[in-house]
Amino acid sequence: MDCNVVIIGHVDHGKSTLIGRLLYDSESVTEGRVQEIQKLADEFKRRFEFAYFIDSFDDELKEERTIDTSQVMFKGKRIYTVTDVPGHKEFIKNMLTGASHADVAVLVVASQEGIKEQTGRHTFLINMLGIKNLFVLVNKMDLVDYKQDVFEKVKTDVTQLLSTVGFQNVSFIPGSAWEGDNIYKKSNRMPWYKGPTLIEALDQIELREESKPLRFVVQDTYTIEGEKITVGRVESGSLCKGDKVVFQPSGISGTIGRIIYYPDEIEKAETGDSVGIVTDCSPVRGDVCGLIDNPPHVSTEFLGEAVLLDENLKHGETVEIRCGTKRAKCTVKELQEKLNSETGEVIGKSPEHISEHEAATIIFRSEPMVVEKFSEIPELGRFVLVRDKNIAAGIVL
Amino acid sequence: MPDLKDLENKSLYILREAYAEFKNPAVLWSTGKDSTVTLWLCHKAFFGKIPFPVIHIDTGYKFKAMYAFRDNLAKEWGMNLIVAKNEEAMRDGMGPEKGHFECCTRLKTEALMRCLEQHNFDALILSIRRDEHGIRAKERYFSPRDSEFKWNYKDQPLEMWDQYQKTTEAKTHTRVHPILHWRELDMWEYIKQEGIPSHPMYFAQNGKRYRSLGCEPCTATIDSSAATIDEIVAELRETKIAERSGRAQDKEKAFTMQKLRALGYM
Repeated sequence: MDCNVVIIGHVDHGKSTLIGRLLYDSESVTEGRVQEIQKLADEFKRRFEFAYFIDSFDDELKEERTIDTSQVMFKGKRIYTVTDVPGHKEFIKNMLTGASHADVAVLVVASQEGIKEQTGRHTFLINMLGIKNLFVLVNKMDLVDYKQDVFEKVKTDVTQLLSTVGFQNVSFIPGSAWEGDNIYKKSNRMPWYKGPTLIEALDQIELREESKPLRFVVQDTYTIEGEKITVGRVESGSLCKGDKVVFQPSGISGTIGRIIYYPDEIEKAETGDSVGIVTDCSPVRGDVCGLIDNPPHVSTEFLGEAVLLDENLKHGETVEIRCGTKRAKCTVKELQEKLNSETGEVIGKSPEHISEHEAATIIFRSEPMVVEKFSEIPELGRFVLVRDKNIAAGIVL
Repeated sequence: MPDLKDLENKSLYILREAYAEFKNPAVLWSTGKDSTVTLWLCHKAFFGKIPFPVIHIDTGYKFKAMYAFRDNLAKEWGMNLIVAKNEEAMRDGMGPEKGHFECCTRLKTEALMRCLEQHNFDALILSIRRDEHGIRAKERYFSPRDSEFKWNYKDQPLEMWDQYQKTTEAKTHTRVHPILHWRELDMWEYIKQEGIPSHPMYFAQNGKRYRSLGCEPCTATIDSSAATIDEIVAELRETKIAERSGRAQDKEKAFTMQKLRALGYM
């Protein structure tokens, strides 16, 4: 199974350098690329930087900081898609864009700096996104002479932060992306460390799909040669020909007559399949289909937790909410608790509004729509809020 | 290997989202392997018939064989094909000797702008992939273009999970990138699995083949003995050479690709 890894952490703690190092040591960079980067370094009168393998915008190279997320692939025991994200607060939306597809996160903490603002915020956000697999790379060990006591101090501090945010039993790896210690290759500079390298740790992760009830989201209905075909995706569970189903919030039920994966007709669609179905009812975009004995939950009021990426969100304000393919009007009925987005701690009750980069638990009142608890069916338990553009991301509690 | 079915499922989902969200989309087709795969995915997504126009940008410098390939497949697949040209620039003798940046901008980007204005397309489906170029790796699946056709790469939208957004920031159109997540190797394995037609120029003759196809003066061959899809797949598993190494506009100067793309290049 492929594995999508996001590298998170504060600015300048070495995220892009780590990815460059992974690409370089796994021999995933093309010929000419190394020379190209050397040329760039000469042009800027700087040393060769591994980060240049991934930072591509001229502004990123000139300013030596990542602005937007990007992805690269490399091979360990399996194919890894590695997502780089920016470490500046002003680019949090780009960080979230990159992190939203990850299975695993690697938190990079520079040994000589320890916890900084985005160390906490990134950790809080990936916890909210439901990413359970986390490793901490204590980076730049070369700058502290590979000393165990420095590593242990950072480990103690970060463990404390992680437990506040909600992570337990996280593995820590001491290394240096710049020097290549314990990233792809085992280092002999820290004989006191007996654990795995970063790549060994990643290779050991087992990714499992939990079995969940059927949820099929409806994207559209087409008329093909006189026949109505409803298209959408199986978000969880599986869908079989002959299944008795209900579509919500339309509240209509029917039987699955045919399942089409063009040009084939199939008996069963699995999780992730984008298929066409023929039924004896007329579902519409935004409907969610489930089995009649385990139907999707329709709500008009629910509790969520969201992080805001725009100016502000006020008590009583109406915005659009999107969950799956459903768009609905929704009103902020109550801002319950304002959360510190660096730690997840409650920092205020019933605020009048929340501002950019702040998080809160919120009671929403919406038009009838299907939402599931994020902890049960994450695919339908996550949403974005829209005011012309996507302004917030959240989960259903 | 990434599962081809996962890649395909995601692409089908994106294409159907684009079709549901936009009033007047179109798909761009260079006749190369990537955009031909996209057309095939459109076939699958819409049950055998591409329900929107297919645009081919003709610079006048394409390989002769590409025209024949284009016309045959357009007929066979029943496409509504629009050929877009910047006739004025072609008349003025625009060519690669005037500089790749200038030539690509005039003959490709401007031809596309005019076609878009003429037909009022609000979405363009493009076949760029993250692994082709560092700049393309920074793209979103839905990417707005402003009134001057420009890509505001410094302030891209929040695109979480599969919530692709259509905003009023897209003054001219939104780019849709349904195969952003595919790799070159995946393309060939998929072409083989699905039996998708591809140019003979991709296959080695006399020790040379094209790995990426563009305009004839600006596209170079690579040394290769890969004469079948299986041999191409085997070659790609071993190679250390970049896919677009034979494409002049990517390499003229550092950041040429970024500047081209900021102005609306593919």
